[in-house]
Amino acid sequence: MNAQLELKNLTVSYGGKAVAENLNGSFGFGRLNLLVGRAGSGKSSLLLAIAGFHTEFSGQILYDGAVFQSAGNFSLTFQDPESLFFNSSVGDEVEYSLRMRELPESEITPRAQQWLQRWGLDPENFYQRHPFELSGGEKRRVALAACTVAMPPIILLDEPLAGLDANGQKALAEMLNQLAYEHIVIVVTHEPEVFLQSDSSVLFLREGQGSWFSGNEFLRQAVHDRDFYPLPRWYCHAMAPFAAAPSLPPVNAEAVASFIAREKKHADQL
Amino acid sequence: MIVLDKVSFRYNEKSETSFKLKEVSFSCPKGAITGVIGGNGSGKSTVARLIAGMIEPQTGIVTVDGFAPFNHTGRCGFLAGIIFQTPDNQIVGTTVAEDLAFGLENLGVSYDEMQVRVRETASRFGLGDMLATPVHYLSGGQKQLLCIASVMIMQPSWMIFDEPTSHLDPWARDSFWHTVKTFAREHDIGVMVVSQLAEDLQHFEQILAFNGGSLVFNGPIAKLRANVEQLPWFRIPDAWKLEKILEARP
Amino acid sequence: MQISYKPGNSFLYSLNPLIKGGLCFVLIMFFSLNGLQLPAMAGSLVALLLFAALGRLPLADLLLSIRRIWFLLVIVGLVQGFRGNGFEVVPALESMARILGVFIAAGCYLTVSPQSELMFFWETIFRPLRLLGLPARELALVMVIAVRFLPVMLSEIDRIRMAQIARGARLGKGGFFSSAAALMPLMIPTLAQAIIRGEELAEAMEARGYRVSGNRTRYHRFGIGFFDIPAGLAALAVAAIAVWSRMP
Repeated sequence: MNAQLELKNLTVSYGGKAVAENLNGSFGFGRLNLLVGRAGSGKSSLLLAIAGFHTEFSGQILYDGAVFQSAGNFSLTFQDPESLFFNSSVGDEVEYSLRMRELPESEITPRAQQWLQRWGLDPENFYQRHPFELSGGEKRRVALAACTVAMPPIILLDEPLAGLDANGQKALAEMLNQLAYEHIVIVVTHEPEVFLQSDSSVLFLREGQGSWFSGNEFLRQAVHDRDFYPLPRWYCHAMAPFAAAPSLPPVNAEAVASFIAREKKHADQL
Repeated sequence: MIVLDKVSFRYNEKSETSFKLKEVSFSCPKGAITGVIGGNGSGKSTVARLIAGMIEPQTGIVTVDGFAPFNHTGRCGFLAGIIFQTPDNQIVGTTVAEDLAFGLENLGVSYDEMQVRVRETASRFGLGDMLATPVHYLSGGQKQLLCIASVMIMQPSWMIFDEPTSHLDPWARDSFWHTVKTFAREHDIGVMVVSQLAEDLQHFEQILAFNGGSLVFNGPIAKLRANVEQLPWFRIPDAWKLEKILEARP
Repeated sequence: MQISYKPGNSFLYSLNPLIKGGLCFVLIMFFSLNGLQLPAMAGSLVALLLFAALGRLPLADLLLSIRRIWFLLVIVGLVQGFRGNGFEVVPALESMARILGVFIAAGCYLTVSPQSELMFFWETIFRPLRLLGLPARELALVMVIAVRFLPVMLSEIDRIRMAQIARGARLGKGGFFSSAAALMPLMIPTLAQAIIRGEELAEAMEARGYRVSGNRTRYHRFGIGFFDIPAGLAALAVAAIAVWSRMP
């Protein structure tokens, strides 16, 4: 899949004030597209502009070369997506979206079950349960499954990890990475380190400007300068001697350890 | 000093399975930042609410500086103030001044004293020229400052933070910790922070860890670190893991 | 665009909370109950707006916020307009003017009243209820919390609406005929959020020493000022007009 969601001279305003000016770049398949920045930097407005809910912008949003028609082609979740539940069973919750799109009745349940399985929830076990009985991590996955079950090309997620514990965050980040192979997934996050791979794409909004980074460039800048982006201190500390290395490891202990070992070996050989 | 002696608490007394805390005992002196850690449903939030005097233990005794917080709705000084996660859900006033004054009104502080304390606290927190500002005009960071100020103005002897950082951006997290540490240093005030973020561990000096309603660890952070392998419920943070791996290598 | 307290400086702001609340109450009663004809009604709407302008209220914001109730206005207009023999414009407009009047009067009141004044007004009004054994302070508190959460809840509803539309919900598309069932995806999460927020706020208030039965002191003192007497007289006059217009 080569289609891209492209921003052309896009300026997003809020209440008459430009919050992100002159954005040019694209979101693609095969990797997560991260959208980071301080609170109030215009991340949410940009997300809503793509979804078509925020119309205060100039410039263009293109999909596959043509103006993006948002209706029916995206899914959108905000922080704590489980607050959208209104059905009394997980199954109804996930099927809702398919029902509203008027799929043939015979396809709905199989598709919903299959999709739930994709999110690591066994339908046998979960389909009839009440959404409020589930644990925090399960609820979050049901909510994301219910929002994405119609499989639109564009998936917009605002803070999908907030409020989960470390294990839940890791598992969910892994699932979203998988999802990115079939959808354009744009994630607004305060914890880019959980997702960051060297090939991730990062759009960083600050002071009204947007800059695009590869995951690697982003990590390198952040290691170099904590004011740029406050990554976990231990990572910056461990990576400080290697700031010039061509590619930095993702932010987790095992990857960093083997990276350091490799670099040491390399230095010894020289 | 906070003391819990064989404290149990459950929400539904009839059912055996609804235990939130089982016979928890510890004492926690002022002077160090204490981290209360544990997963969802471990009982850590219940402990925070017991200390803040919002609920009463069914069995056992809770005291803060020698008083039982639940019965102490106190004119002679406030025992423990608690600050919750979402600023929007705990700001009571429509303006900054009203929110600061709310706690003092409840304590029955006189009109004249209230005027002085509101002004003084507001300027100490950099909210001095915003007294008449409606709270929904404030930025997220200012709202959190206001929440802290509104509790500090009551001059509590302890401050409890319930998951203060989990919804903040990383810059705001840094400045939150900066603020808290400055306070702990400059005031005679005990600080207890409930958190499940690995990144917050580096800021704690003492640890109380909960799992399934029981206290499973109580001691300095260095001791937790030394014994971390014997604590199966604890997810080792990446920072420690890395150092361990690097130490193991020649 | 939101109806909530905005700081300002005019005679409207400086009124005693009791006079302020009383005047608002009388205006709401006037617009809902008077027996005036359409021209007089339109005249009083204009008078209300002039009055608000005199009090230096942000009129543009107030008028923009009418967008939030256009739906209600249209429904009321339709229901009132259909008479036995077809649709009549005059009663439809009349009833819409009533709603608008009530809405603008309440909007002005909330714009100039911070929480402490609302609390003071409601507590005073409800005080006689205490003699009947009703919890006056609790009732006042409920009113104040509702007002405090109004702007927060409105943006919350917006968020929920967008997210559910993204899931395929057709909110509002069914027009006036959309059944209650179609609104469930909006109603249930909104209600759930309201309850959660209310609970958390109640907890936070208790944690800051609020006991419903406690003896509180007040941060603000409310006296009688220069404008309170004419405002009080104006309230009486408005009430008199409403009664007069209903006389047989």
